[in-house]
Amino acid sequence: MSPVSQQPASRPLGPLLLRKKGFSLFGITRASLVRRFFSAMASVAIIVLVLIMVFLLRDGAGFLSTYRASLDVYRKSGMELCDLLEQPVREMQDKSTSLLRRALAHELATLTGEAKQRRDAVVVLIGKVQAMSAPERAALEVVLTASAPPETLADPRDQLRQATSRAAMSIPIPSVLSSREVEQFRRELATLTPENTELLPMLTALEAEFARQDTAARAQFAPLSAAVAACEQAPAALYETLVPLHKHARNTKELAQKRLSSRDQPEVHFPDQLKPILDARETLLTRLDDYGSRLKQAQAALPAETRSEEAAELLAQVRELLPEQAVQTAGIREKVLEWDGMHTVSMFHAALGFCFGPHWITNSPWQDFYGVVPLLTGSVLISVIALLIATPLSIAAAVYTSQFASDREKEYIKPVIEFIQAIPSIVLGFIGIALLGDLIKSVSHWPLLAWLPGFPIEERLNMFNAGCLLALMAVPTMFSLAEDALNSVPQSYAAASEALGATKLQTVFRVIVPAALSGILAGILLGLGRVIGETMVVLLVAGNRIAIPDFGDGLGVVFQPAHTLTGIIAQELGEVSRGSGHWQALFMVGILLFIISLVVNWCARAFARRLETPKS
Amino acid sequence: MDFCYGSKAALQGIHLDVEYHRVTALIGPSGCGKSTLLRCINRMNDRVAGARVSKGEILVKGKNIHDADVDLTQLRKQVGMVFQKSNPFPKTIYENVAYGLRVHGVKDKTAIDEAVERSLTQAALWDELKDRLHAHALGLSGGQQQRLCIARAIATMPDVLLMDEPCSALDPIATLKIEELITQLARDYTVVIVTHNMQQAVRVSDFTAFLHLGKLVEFAPTEELFTNPREKLTDSYLRGTFS
Repeated sequence: MSPVSQQPASRPLGPLLLRKKGFSLFGITRASLVRRFFSAMASVAIIVLVLIMVFLLRDGAGFLSTYRASLDVYRKSGMELCDLLEQPVREMQDKSTSLLRRALAHELATLTGEAKQRRDAVVVLIGKVQAMSAPERAALEVVLTASAPPETLADPRDQLRQATSRAAMSIPIPSVLSSREVEQFRRELATLTPENTELLPMLTALEAEFARQDTAARAQFAPLSAAVAACEQAPAALYETLVPLHKHARNTKELAQKRLSSRDQPEVHFPDQLKPILDARETLLTRLDDYGSRLKQAQAALPAETRSEEAAELLAQVRELLPEQAVQTAGIREKVLEWDGMHTVSMFHAALGFCFGPHWITNSPWQDFYGVVPLLTGSVLISVIALLIATPLSIAAAVYTSQFASDREKEYIKPVIEFIQAIPSIVLGFIGIALLGDLIKSVSHWPLLAWLPGFPIEERLNMFNAGCLLALMAVPTMFSLAEDALNSVPQSYAAASEALGATKLQTVFRVIVPAALSGILAGILLGLGRVIGETMVVLLVAGNRIAIPDFGDGLGVVFQPAHTLTGIIAQELGEVSRGSGHWQALFMVGILLFIISLVVNWCARAFARRLETPKS
Repeated sequence: MDFCYGSKAALQGIHLDVEYHRVTALIGPSGCGKSTLLRCINRMNDRVAGARVSKGEILVKGKNIHDADVDLTQLRKQVGMVFQKSNPFPKTIYENVAYGLRVHGVKDKTAIDEAVERSLTQAALWDELKDRLHAHALGLSGGQQQRLCIARAIATMPDVLLMDEPCSALDPIATLKIEELITQLARDYTVVIVTHNMQQAVRVSDFTAFLHLGKLVEFAPTEELFTNPREKLTDSYLRGTFS
């Protein structure tokens, strides 16, 4: 019997359907309760986002005033003046002296090259012979450490002697030694037993020969070596004058910091503190002029003729460089004269220092700088590398999967590519360190590839390595979105195109891909968002050198190590004291990342919207 | 001619002679195979896996379109097609019309310009659109879009123009325009049109074929078929007594 038939037939259905009284809680009906529950869930997401922004801003907002105050002390203590003078001079010095030293080394090599080669060959051969008799040596060593009776030593000693002479006879000797020397050398090599504590006479002789030639060569190239020494010594007086000023400025800064941390400390009167430094300004300027004239002297002393071509080239570079440096010196002089230590640092200056500052220097005993440029260039370069690799890869894969692949192939390709997303980024980091880094390095040493910019490379951990791994991480996102975009192109386009006689390839590349282009672009941008925000891989693999990469290498710049916006936060946030300027600077970097992500996502959405309504 | 989708027979024993430079209408109830028959003519059914002509042959200008030496690209250049729902590409008006020429390797700019003007004129769009050839095609009205599709189909100068219910998604005024256009097009092209609308068949076509359950029931000049059908089935369909 069904329950319906139990109902009396006369009972009207209407009131049952119009059940007015339902479950209610504090006067809220079930329907509105459910509705409120879902709307609450949606609001939680929004509230969390707002909280994140508030939190980031709260800690980051204080940065500008902290950094301003720090820069203000930096200026008023006179540190800025010292740096204004010293930094450019040091940079110029590094450049010119390294060129000159290389030139001198090339010149010396023309005279002493052979002697050096002979000596080096002998040193290498001695090492080889010792390595060849290593087992016998080890055996003797064992007996010696066991402090056995002297008569038992004779046997291993004899064996070692034999092994050494065998090695001495059989070892190939390079042609830098004459045949007479070879014979003598083989005889000497045979005596290479532990009892023989003397240096081999051959080595001593060659060493003496090299030293004699080196001295002679230096004498012959006296003008050049004098020029090198003069150049090296040029700023010595300037540096000397700066030493007490440095000390004084640092002292002022410490006083100012003490005053900042507690009110009990006496207030620092900056003009008084600065006085000694300002007084020294004139001396500094004379020293600077002195430096300039020394540079000129050094240039005049440069020898006109050289023995080696390399040296000639290097000297030509120096000749170009030195006048430039003289101009620079004049510039420095002007800046030092214009410098006004009492001019308070503005907020704007601090903001500029953050956005465009070329140095990120922390925990320095001198002055911390929070310039974001080195990190930003690192992040941007790595992202560009990753995009350049990932875009063709994922779009080609998406075009193939959505247009050409059979259903069976699709069944394999899609899950496999999407699986890449499941690889934890730290595991990718392992791969970068253990596998990809070595691979890139060893490939770069192939002579065949030497023409590539930046090859051969020395650093295993570099931006290219990180870019490759990030590309791998971006591929699933870009692939999925591009594939969706291609699949959502109406079938009727393909039908129309084919009805006009277009081949499959023409249809795909002239109609379907262009129609899906905005979706594909949105996918690329979302991939970019993922790449910029990625932390673990870059922290492990990018090399973490905080410096603006040297773009002088051209494209080879990608093989340099770099640090990133994300990496710096992960690396340093754990170590800084809460609320310090450094802490706030890291939060500012977080805000910057947040803004970049927002912009990228917004662009992606704009592209995606164009896909939905393709009307122009 | 027989045609089947996999093992399911869709058309059986169709024999039809389409007259040169005339409009032939295919009518019949839903699922009777009108569209399938139409799509056989330019081998659009090749796109469907397992679909094939199982018996007989289709001749276009005396040439069997399934011969090994027939190039599908050339066949489709010869036999243009307009679809039920207007489907211009998301490109400019100009590019839409030029597409057929471009895929056939025409690169000469003036030739393309001329073809675009001719096709748009023939599709009665030139006067409306000549000033905004480089506007986006999806910004046009439904009727304009469908006429653009016709222009696109005739840009490659096909011999035969297939139309699969070209007006079913259009309002009466746009429909009227397309119908006028079809009559004009018959001067230059052989038109085969599938339609659900009896009046439309009467208005535009010279010959009408009535299909039912994959079989050709009757094929006659339109006037004759509508006024004096030979077959009882045709008669009852036209009267609307079965569907």
